[in-house]
Amino acid sequence: MSESLLCVLTEDLLVRVLHHLHSDADRKSWRLVCKHLNRVESLTRTTIRILRIEFLLALLHKFRNIQELDLSLCPRIDDGAVKVMLSQGSPGWTRGLKRLVLSRATGLGHSGLEQLVRACPLLEAVDVSHCWGFGDREAAAISCGTRLREVNMDKCLGVTDIGLARIAVGCSRLERLSLKWCFEISDLGVDLLCKKCFYLKVLDVSYLKVTSKSLRSIASLLNLEVLVMVGCSLVDDVGLRYLENGCPLLKTIDVSRCNCISSSGLISLVSGHVDLVQIAAGYCLSELSGPLVHCLKNLEQLSVIRIDGVQVSDFFLQTIGKNCKFIVELGLSKCIGVTNMGILHLVSGCGSLKILDLTCCRSITDAAISTIADTCPDLVCLRLESCDMVTENCIYHLGSSCLLLEELDLTDCSGINDIALKYLSGCSELVRLKLGLCTNISNIGLSQIAYNCRKMAELDLYRCVYIGDDGLAALASGCKKLMKLNVSYCNRITDKGMEYLSHLGELSELEMRGLSNVTSIGIKAVALSCKRLADLDLKHCEKIDDSGFWALAFYSQNLRQKTCYAGNTWFLQPV
Amino acid sequence: MDPKGSLCSNNWARSACLTSPGNGLQTNMSSDPSPFCGVRIEAPFKDFNQPSTNQSLLMAEPNKDIKISDIENCPLTDSSSQTGKLQDWDPNVMLNNLSFLEEKIHQLQGLVHLIDNKKCQPFAQPDALVTQEQQLITADLTSIIVQLISTAGSLLPSVRHTLANTSPLVSQLSQLRGLNLPFGSGPSGGIQPQNNNVNKVFDQSTQNDVPNNCEVEQNNMEEHETKDEEDVEEGENLPPGSYEILQLEKEEILAPHTHFCTICGKGFKRDANLRMHMRGHGDEYKTPAALAKPHKETGSEPKLIKRYSCPYAGCKRNKDHKKFQPLKTILCVKNHYKRTHCDKSYTCSRCHTKKFSVMADLKTHEKHCGKDKWLCSCGTTFSRKDKLFGHIALFQGHTPAIPLEETKVPAAPTDLDSKDNTCDKVGNMNFCFGSNPPNENEVQNIMDVKGNIDDPINYFSSLNFEGCNFGGFNEFSQSPFEDSDASFSFLMSGSFNYAPKPGCESTSDNL
Repeated sequence: MSESLLCVLTEDLLVRVLHHLHSDADRKSWRLVCKHLNRVESLTRTTIRILRIEFLLALLHKFRNIQELDLSLCPRIDDGAVKVMLSQGSPGWTRGLKRLVLSRATGLGHSGLEQLVRACPLLEAVDVSHCWGFGDREAAAISCGTRLREVNMDKCLGVTDIGLARIAVGCSRLERLSLKWCFEISDLGVDLLCKKCFYLKVLDVSYLKVTSKSLRSIASLLNLEVLVMVGCSLVDDVGLRYLENGCPLLKTIDVSRCNCISSSGLISLVSGHVDLVQIAAGYCLSELSGPLVHCLKNLEQLSVIRIDGVQVSDFFLQTIGKNCKFIVELGLSKCIGVTNMGILHLVSGCGSLKILDLTCCRSITDAAISTIADTCPDLVCLRLESCDMVTENCIYHLGSSCLLLEELDLTDCSGINDIALKYLSGCSELVRLKLGLCTNISNIGLSQIAYNCRKMAELDLYRCVYIGDDGLAALASGCKKLMKLNVSYCNRITDKGMEYLSHLGELSELEMRGLSNVTSIGIKAVALSCKRLADLDLKHCEKIDDSGFWALAFYSQNLRQKTCYAGNTWFLQPV
Repeated sequence: MDPKGSLCSNNWARSACLTSPGNGLQTNMSSDPSPFCGVRIEAPFKDFNQPSTNQSLLMAEPNKDIKISDIENCPLTDSSSQTGKLQDWDPNVMLNNLSFLEEKIHQLQGLVHLIDNKKCQPFAQPDALVTQEQQLITADLTSIIVQLISTAGSLLPSVRHTLANTSPLVSQLSQLRGLNLPFGSGPSGGIQPQNNNVNKVFDQSTQNDVPNNCEVEQNNMEEHETKDEEDVEEGENLPPGSYEILQLEKEEILAPHTHFCTICGKGFKRDANLRMHMRGHGDEYKTPAALAKPHKETGSEPKLIKRYSCPYAGCKRNKDHKKFQPLKTILCVKNHYKRTHCDKSYTCSRCHTKKFSVMADLKTHEKHCGKDKWLCSCGTTFSRKDKLFGHIALFQGHTPAIPLEETKVPAAPTDLDSKDNTCDKVGNMNFCFGSNPPNENEVQNIMDVKGNIDDPINYFSSLNFEGCNFGGFNEFSQSPFEDSDASFSFLMSGSFNYAPKPGCESTSDNL
């Protein structure tokens, strides 16, 4: 890059350009251009995700303007580390910090957490999800952040009503709170929360042992927009009736797996909120009753509805198709009674459908999928797992009409073959493709996909037994952005295939169970080149011996999780 | 009288059967049956044939217990004069009766001594003989008690006579039945099913009367007052008068022991303890039957509902109170009386402020005094989480404090909350009394305690909350009642320590 170019591009212009670079790889390339660009990047960067804690201090010095610090990959961080961070990091690095991600930071204690929270005067969001050891003390530490608007405490198993009360009192501006799997929290805590935090917009009480009493409290929240209560098996229709007259701004509700609610409860909920946008009610009803379908008619704003595992009728799909013009996402996973006719009725009205989940709707055939492809050009995600009747004919329609398709799940669709993949390669935007158990596809089909779908990031080839080294070669040359790959039990793959895979620099998750022809040489190649590799599954790879693991231990610095079994029992410590 | 009293709780039919066999030991008593029977059969018929002069008495009979009506005649050989004397009480007759009783007791003493001596010779007696002797004693005691009661019954004021509301004929018939019961020679099982309410009343009242001879009159009065009402209806929701009201005297309530050893006279609080103690008095007390819990309701016949009155005049639990609310069990009576009308003599050794009149209350308090506190940042402590949360919700800026020493705040079971609201009235007692509780708080507590006493169920469940047994206050509140049954089972037939004969089972069940 010449000097003149840099003279033309002033710093603010560079910043603007930089704003259009989103992926880490692109930014990395940017940083490597020259010192100047590197400096611009480090000054404008607001988000930083620490992969290894030993670089933390240096990174803190380099990036002065960070607003979001993600330490979720550093589970070993403890109170001592926090002390060092605060005392030896660049002066005032915490001053601008608004978001702190401490997910899975199980080593952190309450005193360290408190120091950290207190050091960040502008802190607005804290994520301590999956810190299973956290309890009331840690919650009390979080409550020191008086400006907090968002707290995620998923699976903080020790947090009780007391801890929640601390947060409710301390962080009265809270807008988003997730309490999923905080099993100790009861109605009492939720009630106090609703009395103290009037600004709550998003609340997740999934899997809590709360009863309808909590919903009475929640109904008093005037600003609540999203309520997620998956698996609250103690909540019944009485609770939903409280909601009917409360939460005037409610837009999204998730009552999946609430066993005790029935159609009548949902009817009262729906009739109280005609401007609902999202409903998720999977696995809580056995079938959609007529009156409920009738009620759903009134929801003109409805854009997302997920009713997995429910018996549906053509009448329901017809009603949705006729009345809910703005429907964007429809989840019918494992629904009984989804027929071609129903789908035809549905899509005739819902041209804007983007996400359709037809997992295990086994009676769906090519006719329905073709119609979907033709009438829903905006389709982004289609899940057809276990739809056995699907063949290349409908894939042709998908490949030619749904050019925006990003995600397609064809797991266990035995009708998929190389021709289907060839048609599918027309969907050049594909990011996620699942072809597990599609035993009829071979390297030829995979090559078609690989060369045409260059944005592919996630590919599942589980038990695609005809896939071999040539297919991986095509993948390596075509899908450079591949991050997740599953080639388990593709027995034709050898060390050569691994060699090809090693060219995938972005690869972070690799599942290669039961690859009996891969030896330590192949693993070493992957370990050497795939620096981002974090998850590796080597179960039943019996030819891999110690040297392979040595290579992994030595080269794969970012490896976090490795599954190996039968033969070798090496376990890499997360580094 | 107490030791014998418990002996006599043997059932009537059995005793009646056994008076007739000519046992050598019984010779001194053998004169009894014939006059008994003679009087017995005569008396009612005489009554029945009485013209209008004795009308008031006839009216009175059903109100009184049968035991009185027929037994009052027993000791008096001159039954014809007796009816007249009942009206205006004759001290001479009373004296007669008393001396008669005295004589009988002496006889009985001799008998017991005899048995006692025999016991020293292990091979002298087969078991059956021992049993017979015991039954004999029982029979005698029974008759003594009956006579005693009847004697006392003659003292009853004539006011009650006006309470009669059943027809004389019916009352006479029931009397006849009552006669059959103790002295019938047939199998008791055959008689028992016929016995209606009246007979059961009869039995129960005897049980209650036996131990507290000093209060025989008192108790009888109670029964008479209610008896006329009992005939009306027996309902589940217990409308006034559908149950029998018993009232123990203050001394009775405060007595430390309720079970006494028939042999050495030692007192016990529990029948079970007494049974354990009895083992030391001989092998016959060691049989599983003797050690077993004596009395279990089979539920075959509906038992008359008993309710209790507090002897304290003016108390809401006193039967004379306008809004009288009866106490359910004797334990309720005891606890109520101690809590409400006695000094609080037990002081908590931890906080030195909280006082109790019932030892158990103190113990439950001490268990939690200073512990398990729900603490607010303002320093106020609560014994219950929901109270703390109510406080926090009320006051801006207050927040729960997390104790420093413990790593985790003990988590109360979540179903606490559901219980909490159901027992709102109850929980007030459970405020924590720390080393420095706010004064007003305590005052309120004490008041609350008093308030709660009004409802026995609530009261017990509140205790239960103190015991932190949040999950199952139902089981807990159950136990005191059960216990009360047991502690007063010395009144029941089963506490007599021998294995009941199969033939007599039904009778003992009824008792």
